[in-house]
Amino acid sequence: MTAREQEYRELFMAEALEYYDAMSRHLSELERNPQDVGALNELFRLMHNLKANARAMGFVDMGEVAHKMETLFGQIRGNERTFTGSLVTLTFRAVDILGNMIRAVGAGQDSADAKPLLENLEQLIQGQEVVEATEAPTEEEADADAARKLELSDLVYIPVKKLDNLLNLVGELVIDRDRILTLAAELGHPALQATARHLFRISDDLQYSVMDVRLVGAGVLLNKFPRVVRDVATAEGKQVELVLAGQDVQIDRNVLQLITDALLHIVRNAVSHGLETPEARQAAGKRATGRLIISALTERDDVLIQVQDDGRGIDTEAVRKKAVRKGMITTEAAAALDEQEVWALLFEPGFSMADKITDISGRGVGLDVVKLAIDSLGGRLRVNSELGKGTTFTLVLPTSIAVKGALLIELDERAYAVPLLHTDTVLALPNDQVFAVGGLLMTHIQEENVPLVPLRQLLYSEGDELLPRATRSDLPTDGSLLQVLVVSYNNRRLGLIIDRFLRQQNIVVKSLSKPLDTIDLFGGVTLLGSGQLCLVLDVPALTRLFLAKRP
Amino acid sequence: MNKRILIVDDSFYMRTMLKNMLTDAGYDVVGEAANGQQALEMAVATTPDLITLDVILPDNTGLDVLKGIRQQQPDAKVVMCSAVGQETIVNEAIENGALAYIVKPFSEERVLEIVGSALQGDGSPV
Repeated sequence: MTAREQEYRELFMAEALEYYDAMSRHLSELERNPQDVGALNELFRLMHNLKANARAMGFVDMGEVAHKMETLFGQIRGNERTFTGSLVTLTFRAVDILGNMIRAVGAGQDSADAKPLLENLEQLIQGQEVVEATEAPTEEEADADAARKLELSDLVYIPVKKLDNLLNLVGELVIDRDRILTLAAELGHPALQATARHLFRISDDLQYSVMDVRLVGAGVLLNKFPRVVRDVATAEGKQVELVLAGQDVQIDRNVLQLITDALLHIVRNAVSHGLETPEARQAAGKRATGRLIISALTERDDVLIQVQDDGRGIDTEAVRKKAVRKGMITTEAAAALDEQEVWALLFEPGFSMADKITDISGRGVGLDVVKLAIDSLGGRLRVNSELGKGTTFTLVLPTSIAVKGALLIELDERAYAVPLLHTDTVLALPNDQVFAVGGLLMTHIQEENVPLVPLRQLLYSEGDELLPRATRSDLPTDGSLLQVLVVSYNNRRLGLIIDRFLRQQNIVVKSLSKPLDTIDLFGGVTLLGSGQLCLVLDVPALTRLFLAKRP
Repeated sequence: MNKRILIVDDSFYMRTMLKNMLTDAGYDVVGEAANGQQALEMAVATTPDLITLDVILPDNTGLDVLKGIRQQQPDAKVVMCSAVGQETIVNEAIENGALAYIVKPFSEERVLEIVGSALQGDGSPV
């Protein structure tokens, strides 16, 4: 069953159970007061809806029973008959049977033969009194009726915002859990260690369960492309046949959100630059209409999204020459690169293959932005091409990601994120609140002397070299305030001197992949709304570095 | 700009199915109304290019809603939606300006065909 079929089935079930409850209620009202027009109208409408929905799902018997019931209630409403006699018994029985049918669908079972009921209903519709009302419930059925519990719909709808919040909380929990694990190990208390291990397993399960809830079908994004492709093709005078595949592949909704622009760029690029004009294609002995396939598939823990065209392919020589012309690489180095390495140049900043500037693409911002977006998710971008045959871009994406709150700061015109978990306070200090002790700048916060260190020095310090000794002469002389972010780790506070504060926001953190994962000052990367890549500072590592290097 | 469609149906299941079909085909579903009152309000608020209208609604019949909408916006393009058995109302709806009739259960092809020709047409029944 596809994800969409599954969704339809769940919606059908939820609504059918609601209808069943309402039918039972209105039927009782009608029995008490056969003139109750409101109840009659509702019964008619509910039967009508159940009929339409059941038929759409292919549940023929259920649709047929509902149809005959609709007809009967229509007759009562049209004053062709009254709600009395065997009609009352039979409609109650019929609603019970509908309920059983709906529950059977939910349980994935076959429902009992509806033929006797359908024949009786038909007799009633024809105006004949049913002498032998459908046989009384068998003992088994009576037992089932007695055991029946009240049922609420199994389906709830949750706004993405609430899910984000839930994942945030889980993220925080996981961080605390890791801290408790470390502490337990440090303390060496056996009972505490056992509890910590249990906490680890439970929170791990919790994290996966929450991530699972956030998965949606890739079709949510893919299905937006027919329109995009049509528009670009029209603007560029191309003929394109678009094929979509893998709409049911499950992926985190926020991953989809983050790659939307990247995928849009690749697809536009494929139509605009990958595919040739109908004339050029025919001259090359190809079909005038180009083919573009956008597909999603699962590969182990990753989701692959591929954009495949049967266009002109990448001219490797042209890329080499252009890279040399743009001064990105020397002629000799370019000659030494293999095809894959040459194609990788396409993702370098400032490289754009477009010979003519169009509205669609070729404005110099190009595949490098795509690569950044995918990097920030911890994904990879692959390209494969054959000259004259076509090009395939493959986005290798993680199925899921984690979100957490962070403070964004700026240093040397570059943004960094600091997880809120480790931020203590932010300060703007005039010089007279800063003093120098033993080669360190300090300030006084809540009766505590907190060391201040320029973040720049920590990030750029090399090897085992100690930090330079600081004096008050290092302070700004133009009267500007010192921007300080106080972070805390293990109850130790450290003031990082930065250029300025940007804002607080939720970020999606992705751990660095090899070989960058050995740089321990950074806990990961994130992509800002602006498309800018932002490193996430690892406060524990920064603190440790400061302690090791303090003069 | 994508053509904008308002869906009126009291079944969430039906609305979802219709919405998926229409969205997949590149239409913008600008609203979903579950009863006549909502339908009238949303028709004014969203001024859609086309409205799919269920014949039987909880508060009033689709026919009353159709008349209400046509009174507010005489050019509104409305396609009726119903399971079999309501042909009388549907015929009356066509006389009152509805452009076409989609029979439930509907196939995706049929829905897109009818919606497409209703949108392209000059306002006479398709």
